[in-house]
Amino acid sequence: MTTFIIRRLLLVPLLLFGVTIIIFMMLQLLSPVERSALYVRDFPKNEKAVDGIIRRYGLDKPFYEQYWRWLVGIKDPVSGERNGGILFGDLGYSRTASQPVNELIKNRFPNTLDLTIWTIAPMILVGIWLGVQSAIHHNGWFDQAARMFSIIGTSFPTFVFGLMLLMFFYANLGWFSPGRLTDDLMQVVNKPTFIKYTSLITFDALLNGRVDIFLDAISHMVMPIITLSYISWATFLRVTRSSMLETLRMEYVTTARAKGLPERDVIYKHAQPNAMIPVVTLAGFSVVGLLGGVTITETVFNYPGIGSAAARAAVNLDVVTVLGFAIFIGFILIVANLVTDVLYAVVDPRVRLS
Amino acid sequence: METQNEVLLKVDNLVKHFPIYRGVFQRQVGAVHAVDGISFDVYKGETLGLVGESGCGKSTAGRTILQLYKPTSGSVDFQGVDLATLKGEELRHMRKKIQMIFQDPYASLNPRMTVGDIIGEPLMVHNVATPKEIEERVADLLNKVNLNPAFASRYPHEFSGGQRQRIGIARALALQPDFIVCDEPISALDVSIQAQVVNLLEDLQAQFGLTYLFIAHDLSMVRHISTRVAVMYLGIIVELADRKTLYTNPLHPYSQALLSAVPVADPVVEEKRKRVILEGDVPSPVNPPSGCRFRTRCPIAKPGVCDASKPEFREVDPGHFVACHLV
Repeated sequence: MTTFIIRRLLLVPLLLFGVTIIIFMMLQLLSPVERSALYVRDFPKNEKAVDGIIRRYGLDKPFYEQYWRWLVGIKDPVSGERNGGILFGDLGYSRTASQPVNELIKNRFPNTLDLTIWTIAPMILVGIWLGVQSAIHHNGWFDQAARMFSIIGTSFPTFVFGLMLLMFFYANLGWFSPGRLTDDLMQVVNKPTFIKYTSLITFDALLNGRVDIFLDAISHMVMPIITLSYISWATFLRVTRSSMLETLRMEYVTTARAKGLPERDVIYKHAQPNAMIPVVTLAGFSVVGLLGGVTITETVFNYPGIGSAAARAAVNLDVVTVLGFAIFIGFILIVANLVTDVLYAVVDPRVRLS
Repeated sequence: METQNEVLLKVDNLVKHFPIYRGVFQRQVGAVHAVDGISFDVYKGETLGLVGESGCGKSTAGRTILQLYKPTSGSVDFQGVDLATLKGEELRHMRKKIQMIFQDPYASLNPRMTVGDIIGEPLMVHNVATPKEIEERVADLLNKVNLNPAFASRYPHEFSGGQRQRIGIARALALQPDFIVCDEPISALDVSIQAQVVNLLEDLQAQFGLTYLFIAHDLSMVRHISTRVAVMYLGIIVELADRKTLYTNPLHPYSQALLSAVPVADPVVEEKRKRVILEGDVPSPVNPPSGCRFRTRCPIAKPGVCDASKPEFREVDPGHFVACHLV
């Protein structure tokens, strides 16, 4: 198991290199003029400034020189200070957020992570539960109803469903509100007396003994969680259901019955764990998707995660911020895949040896 | 192996139909008559061979006897209890005494469980031993099937087909059952390993006084292991006799055809012997032929007799049952 993890870890730098190459190449698709024009206020009139930027940042140099410069940054000849360089964790300055991209990610990502953590249970566990029950009651009324219900969720465009939730729970009932926290509680959180152990508001609230903040944060997340779960249930239901149906037909399930196991154990101890292998893959992808920021959901509910920040940057042609997010999300994806691989080995002993 | 006349298991008119649903409203439009009224006794300590071609319902028969499929009708009397009427807990407790060895040693072992867990689980669910006793018992069982007790911590995929089948046998033996249905236990194995597994089954039978229902299509293997043999065709038993009688004097035309398909190792005899070759395919078990089921392929079928009524499964000689109008 340890060697398995180490071997996978050794692959990480290689994958990261691939990610930077791909992102850099995409940037190279734009001509130097196009790239520099983004930084010039009244572009067509001010062509001289474009030339200046091209020369200053070496945008006309060969691509490998530009790539190297992008990786390690530029040393200021006078002060010797390094400027830029993603290898040193400097992702540049975000125009739209008026702060370094690093800062922006540091502020926004914990919110996304918080939302991801609280979405996992309702999205994945409920989805799996629906799938298992559907398989057990194959073609029965529960199966039909669950499939119908979940396919409706998947068919909804996220923003439509989100707006319906807002209308119902926020405008009509006033139960849940969009955003992150109620304003006065946000002020408490921003005071130095509120210690940020994890930067995740729900966990910090509990660690600081502020149950009111915890509940407030959760109540702000209810609508995004419902949205994200409901649109994913059909996928989980289908994958779990078909995998479960296949497993229930396996001979070792009959063996388990022949042993005299109660039907409950036959299903949950023998069939379900074996049926989970494709579901783990799906769950891995889903969590990666959540961590990468759920742009529409965050935007609809005005939730300050990285998805809404990236969307804002993209709309405003803030290339530096978009690239920074691309690299960051690529990194998250690689780590999450590593975790999925390890989980795979836990779920399926046959993977461990190969 | 001597036949004692104590009946361990009495199968009476056992029927298993699988319904077929069609259409928008999933109405039942028919049924696969997989097992269509079979009756026989199994004596304590014997091996009853059950032979027949693929799809004749022999595996379904085995599973229906063990209540792994719910019988459509009929009864399975085991030590004075009708298994077909048992449900839930009662049936689970009976499973201590009736076990099954499966055909495919690759599919029948849970790939996520260690060999020790696979063999030990029945002991655990029936609360017959403490965890420590289970460990000892698993080691003991692995020894009995000629496997290294250290294998208990390994997973099934680390073993060969023959080894896996022996794990399956150890599992079936764990609860010290009285009766084991062997559902083609050797047909998925290499020929070189078949003999090994069959010998193991015989040794274990002698050691524990087991009773087997041995389902197979390999006639020479059945001849080797069985005390009595039943021949099945399209969901019914057409002939049942002790091994010697059946192999030397088969009465039913289907048994004759089946046995004549076994090659003889002597080229002189092989040259001269008469072979009965059956024409056509096995009819569909959804619409089995009227009257005698075998009449569509029978070389001696008589119109007006064989298609008129079902032949009775009657005792023509002591212990020799046959279902044919013309015998």
